[in-house]
Amino acid sequence: MTSTVTVNPTAAKAAISGLTLRYLVLAGLIVLASVGFSLANENFYSLVNIGILLRSIAVLFLVSMGMTFVMLTGGIDLSVGSNVAFAGGVGVITLTTTGSAPLGFLTAILAGMAIGTINGIFIGRLKLSAFMVTLATFALARGLALVIYDATSINVSDPTFLWLGGTSWGNIPVVIPFVFCVFVALSVLLYRTPFGRNVYAAGANFNTAFVLGRRPERSVVWIYALSGALAGLSAIVTVGRVSSGQPWSGLYLEFDAITAVILGGTSLFGGRGRLLGTILGVLLYGIIINGLVLTGTNPYLQSLIKGMILLGVVLLDSWTQRGKAA
Amino acid sequence: MTLKSTTALGLVLGAAMGSGALAQDDALDIVFINDGHVAPYHVAWLSGFEDAIAAYDEAFPDIAITGRWLSAEGSLEKMIQQTEVTINEGPDVMFVNAINVDAFEPLVAQAQAAGITWIAVHSPMDSADYSFTLGDIANGRNQGLAMCALSGGEPFEVAIMLGQAGNPSGEARHAGILEGISACENVNVVAEQPADWDTVKAQTLAENWLTQFPDLDAISGVTDGYMYPSIAIAANSGNTDIQFYGYDGDIPIMQQMEGGQVMADILLSGTREGWNFVQMAYRIHQGEELDKVYDFFTPLVLTEANHAKALENGFPADVTVYYVDQALDVAANGYLEFGPDSVQ
Repeated sequence: MTSTVTVNPTAAKAAISGLTLRYLVLAGLIVLASVGFSLANENFYSLVNIGILLRSIAVLFLVSMGMTFVMLTGGIDLSVGSNVAFAGGVGVITLTTTGSAPLGFLTAILAGMAIGTINGIFIGRLKLSAFMVTLATFALARGLALVIYDATSINVSDPTFLWLGGTSWGNIPVVIPFVFCVFVALSVLLYRTPFGRNVYAAGANFNTAFVLGRRPERSVVWIYALSGALAGLSAIVTVGRVSSGQPWSGLYLEFDAITAVILGGTSLFGGRGRLLGTILGVLLYGIIINGLVLTGTNPYLQSLIKGMILLGVVLLDSWTQRGKAA
Repeated sequence: MTLKSTTALGLVLGAAMGSGALAQDDALDIVFINDGHVAPYHVAWLSGFEDAIAAYDEAFPDIAITGRWLSAEGSLEKMIQQTEVTINEGPDVMFVNAINVDAFEPLVAQAQAAGITWIAVHSPMDSADYSFTLGDIANGRNQGLAMCALSGGEPFEVAIMLGQAGNPSGEARHAGILEGISACENVNVVAEQPADWDTVKAQTLAENWLTQFPDLDAISGVTDGYMYPSIAIAANSGNTDIQFYGYDGDIPIMQQMEGGQVMADILLSGTREGWNFVQMAYRIHQGEELDKVYDFFTPLVLTEANHAKALENGFPADVTVYYVDQALDVAANGYLEFGPDSVQ
């Protein structure tokens, strides 16, 4: 029994080294991709393009950070993209009916949390498959969004509501410092609180965490609720960016987020990974998308290139982990 | 080869390249941002666009005509990013088939401030420099009127496959079809369902409808993409009586009109539209004044026999109809209507 909970210092050191190596590889790839794209198109390093790049990945940053928490528990959240549309719809409807932007913000976040909490209860308390539960809420949230929007977009002109997603200081979108603040807050939560230790414990071994009294089932509920709240925040940013509420916003966002989190070194099986890796993963993913558009790469090839990069990083990850284990 | 002769050769080549560049000091860069490329129509559309760019560049050597297309794969956020990046690149003309026009209003102003001509594709925008529209309501009405005229006057059951909920083009086509059908009393709409422009969903719908409505007389669709699985399922179930009313002018669908079950189609044709884009951009570049709302010429396609029958049954004589051979010819060869010869 003792052997199952005792931390092997050598293995822990190897795991840390593995992640560090991953971050170095990611940073190298980011530099390589940036240099390559800037050689292909001098506009890549223009301030305007950097602003476009950062604004375009702001929502992915937020959603991916929530996805990191989820994947650290060995789970997955396929509902985040649909949840962005649903939460945005609730926020916009609240705004248009009450005229209050703060109330709109609040309801958008609460709506996102509601979907997340449903996920968490089914997965954490009822022990259902995360894939199946979030696949169901993926459809449920999109359906709710279509119903509340009546399938059409709603224009938003309230400057307060649009501020976060639509304002820039020069070429730097306001949302980027905001995302940084969220990153710092979530880092504190993950690395400096008992809740964060419970997240890792739930992902490393759910049963052991339960035996140790860490209440992993309760942690899972809160983790999915957190992911939902971040989807709600993302909805506010999205509405600000497009000056309207859109029932089809957030389409395929879950796949981009999962890709970025895996790129960032978070294990699909839980228990291993850090937010810094996710940030690097999102940055690399955003640079690739931006660069492929900027270089006029044939759209038929773009998916192929993205898939090959992801496969390459996953293979590299598997290889480096094997090397460390040997 | 000595250093001197190498230098001389280099200078000569440099001068030649320089004169070549001077010969093309005028440039026209066209970008087409599309909402996706999932249907055969999209493939033909983008291929027509690429062929037209090459043809115009060759036909007008004094202008360097370049172009590229981007696909947002159905994602609004991705489309916005692509548009922002493209605006920063500063092409001359942008064709944008916006997933939702409201979301693109701020970008139209941004593009115009950068001196780019913004052409809204399919869904018109007041703020755009031009809107390239399809006349979806009129086209849908023509499809509905053709159905009325070819239904034979007996009670006639039809099921309609719609586009994605909220999509303006799909909803306009749907409204037009219903308007056309309302001209006669015998046609009864027994089912309507969105298939989200997805052929797999269309297949499921067709299977369900053929089971649920054994007396179904026709399937109408707002895109030919729905016709492929519907025709296949009807054929596999031995149903040779059901009629199909398409929309898009896809060549494989129009090829099934003579002696087949496809009764009418709307000749958009992706190839034609791609060619028309480049022709339109060229005309704008040459300073020609075009209508702010530019209607793509989209005739109805019928067989000659069915046209005669439809006219006998009260189909309006003033609706422009192409017979199948003519439609197939212009659909396959976009240059016939919109090639460099059309602007010389």
